[in-house]
Amino acid sequence: MANESSEPAIAVDVDGVSKRFTHRVKGEVWAARDVRFTAAPGAFVTLLGPSGCGKTTTLRMIAGFEQPDEGRILFGDDDVTQLPVNRRNIGFVFQNYALFPHLSVFENVAYGLQVRSQPTAGVAAKVGEVLALVGLAGYEQQFPAQLSGGEQQRVALARAIVIRPRVLLFDEPLSNLDAKLRVQMRGDIRELQNRLAITTIYVTHDQEEAMAVSDHIVVMNRGSVVQQGTAEDLYHRPASEFVATFVGRVNLLRGTVVASSNGIASVSALGGVFKARPGATPLAVGASTRLVVRPEAIAIERDGGLPARVTTRTFLGEKVEYGLRCANTDLQATRPSGGDDTIRVGDDVALRFADEALIALPETDR
Amino acid sequence: MPSASAGWKRDPAVALTVVVLWLLLALFVVYPLAALVGRVLFDHGRFTPDGIAAILADRHQLRAFGNSLLLGVGVGIGGTLTGLLFAFTAARARLNRTLLTAIDAAVLLPLVSPPFTSAIAMIFSFGPRGLITYDLLGLKGITVYGLTSTMCSEVITYFPIAYLTLRPLLAGIDSNIEGMALSLGASRWRVFRTVTLPLTIPGLANAFLLLFAASLADFATPLILAGNNFPVLPTQAFLQITGLFDLRGGAVLSFLLLVPALIVFLLQRYWVSRRFYVTITGKGAGQAPFDSLAPWVRTTLLAACALIAGIVLYFYALLLYASLVVALGANHAFTLAHYRVIFTEGLKAIRDTLIIASIAMPLGGLYGVLVGYLVTRVSFPGRQTMEITSMIDYALPGTIVGIAYLIAFNEPPIQITGTALIIIACYIFRYGPTGIRTTVALLQQIDRSLDEASRGLGAGSGTTFRRITLPLILPAFFAGLGVVFIRSMTAISATIFLVSIGCTLITVKILQDMTELALGPAAAFSVLVVAIVFAMIALIGRVLRLFRAHGAPQVASMLGG
Repeated sequence: MANESSEPAIAVDVDGVSKRFTHRVKGEVWAARDVRFTAAPGAFVTLLGPSGCGKTTTLRMIAGFEQPDEGRILFGDDDVTQLPVNRRNIGFVFQNYALFPHLSVFENVAYGLQVRSQPTAGVAAKVGEVLALVGLAGYEQQFPAQLSGGEQQRVALARAIVIRPRVLLFDEPLSNLDAKLRVQMRGDIRELQNRLAITTIYVTHDQEEAMAVSDHIVVMNRGSVVQQGTAEDLYHRPASEFVATFVGRVNLLRGTVVASSNGIASVSALGGVFKARPGATPLAVGASTRLVVRPEAIAIERDGGLPARVTTRTFLGEKVEYGLRCANTDLQATRPSGGDDTIRVGDDVALRFADEALIALPETDR
Repeated sequence: MPSASAGWKRDPAVALTVVVLWLLLALFVVYPLAALVGRVLFDHGRFTPDGIAAILADRHQLRAFGNSLLLGVGVGIGGTLTGLLFAFTAARARLNRTLLTAIDAAVLLPLVSPPFTSAIAMIFSFGPRGLITYDLLGLKGITVYGLTSTMCSEVITYFPIAYLTLRPLLAGIDSNIEGMALSLGASRWRVFRTVTLPLTIPGLANAFLLLFAASLADFATPLILAGNNFPVLPTQAFLQITGLFDLRGGAVLSFLLLVPALIVFLLQRYWVSRRFYVTITGKGAGQAPFDSLAPWVRTTLLAACALIAGIVLYFYALLLYASLVVALGANHAFTLAHYRVIFTEGLKAIRDTLIIASIAMPLGGLYGVLVGYLVTRVSFPGRQTMEITSMIDYALPGTIVGIAYLIAFNEPPIQITGTALIIIACYIFRYGPTGIRTTVALLQQIDRSLDEASRGLGAGSGTTFRRITLPLILPAFFAGLGVVFIRSMTAISATIFLVSIGCTLITVKILQDMTELALGPAAAFSVLVVAIVFAMIALIGRVLRLFRAHGAPQVASMLGG
């Protein structure tokens, strides 16, 4: 689009929204509980979490499909909490695309403009423009049933952005596509969003997808926000076991804090003592802890570290994954392929942990 | 999540529609049935079981009850087997398009005809002066009336119901399952016995119950064919009222009919329907990917189908022939006299029928779409109760509905017996439910996210209904229209109680002609009805094609259910 954005992007404030419903078996359930986060103007924010964590409910409340029981939703300075969905000026992309089966691609995309009573000539121009933008020029007269999944996805995207919404909302838009197309589409969506500079909130359960597209990730579990930040924050500085295990792969080691100085804890685990940064909560000496060790932070050497035995070896192309047995604990480690590739199953090896990469979390019941 | 797309509290138009529909349902469904029960159980304001006791003590009436059940079981078994034969042949015999069309046509004819056309053809063929018994075989003193002929006639009339139930089921069985069994070394017969048949059993049970109910409710066939020695409940109730002017006795008899009808309805709805293994997707009948039939089996099946289809076609050809000759069996000279009669003396019946059908059609179609939409897409108090209430008149035998209407609207406060209004109301609430079911089925295929997508794009609930929902459920509306019209042309069991001098119907005229042995005019009337119905089916089919939006879910069958 030539005029990249007619209006400046706005922030979206989700201010302590909650939603309860009554479950047939479980009784009263919090679908969302005091959810709070802010999407900066033009930012790409992802709600990430396992199914049932409340991310979709939160998104539907931002859209206006659900009414929060408590809390407010602000678009810029406007409190839209009570505003019906059709007056919020949002673009919503559904998981199943929700294309109108009886309308052609052109009519689907034009729908939102026609509802806004825009002049016919302008509608045609805008639809053509946006279809070209998503790579579907020439598809105007096709019907949704005649399109492939990826094409349907693009129509849904075009339909959402053609109305120049204040906010773009995505509800797991890629989950019906195959793996390769998913990677391509997520890149396209991110690029388009950059170009349009529309504040975007995106729901997914796929942590890799979330890390790939987001400026800011809000991790949710059981209806609540458990941590938010950039992808790097979440990966390198998880505040809880849940985030550590949900974002990326991880080894969690049982340990005890033996000393603490300058904010660095010394933790005894696997028969050794390691320096680790505490997560969000400082840890007292003597406290039980879980040590977070990412697989790539474990160096496998021939000697000079913790003794371990190789139990499995899996070649994955750009990297090799090893299963290790060390002090009666199973560990996973990865290293780039190439280089010294002589380590085999059954070998006795020595492990060293990159100290700066270790994090000590308080032990939870989870 | 319990969030309806349209809340009734926020939308006064929705709330008003709900209230109006409830008033209509109360007046035309609940009130007549209450009046019927009241008449049966109360006498001059006092509760008394005398009426029922009297019937239970009457051997003749008990025999009618037993006969009804016997006939129902016979028709259920015979019709289910015939339907299975056709359905299996259509789904598995790898037929070409022409043969499939021929099968569908043979099945369609009885479905859309007045319910007693095959009964009339039976009389023409096997009656005292029947073409086959008298002319062909030279038999004299043959009596066609009784159990066997009634049962045969009803099997011919109702087996299409079984066919329509079983064919999608057979077509829906994943052929890979059968292929798997075959690859494991089973013979074709063993595959049929151990895989295909077990998967079909719930469908067979369902078909049996539907046919049993249809036979139980059938009034016209036994009236023509059963004769004096084989009384059944619906005809007994009719004779009690029109012959003996005993409204209460008729009510009690129809009440007796209610018991098995209700049991069958509950069995079908809550027991059989939960035991289906195969989900019917509504996709067209797929061809079997391998030869599931040995050649000689295929030939045998085709021959059997051809025989039955031949009988059906022969019946209808005979009807046409009888309407064009002076007197079938006596004088076979060509004449148009019978048509002259029906278009002069019978013109009033034709006009009344067409007027009533034309009024009932749009109202019944609208009623079906409205109730169907409300019960699937709007949450309001008593939603499920409304759905069930709306189905009552559809599920009950027509005799019960007719007598209930007669009792309820015969006296103040609402005295409309003898007017066209009562017949129109009866048609709307008895046949409109087909439209409800079609609408519900269509809406269940349309994801709610379509509504949400429209509203997310800025459309209000009115625009969303007009531009998204309505075009997608339009097929249901037209199908509903078609069914109400066709049934309005062919119905008899309920309306026989509601006609009067001032307002009569073609079907009632046919029955009168039959009892007065004016067979020619009866045949001419029947031919006329079949012709009108076929014209209507063609028209609706054309309109459906014209209006069928791209990608809109299709209506499985205009006549289903």
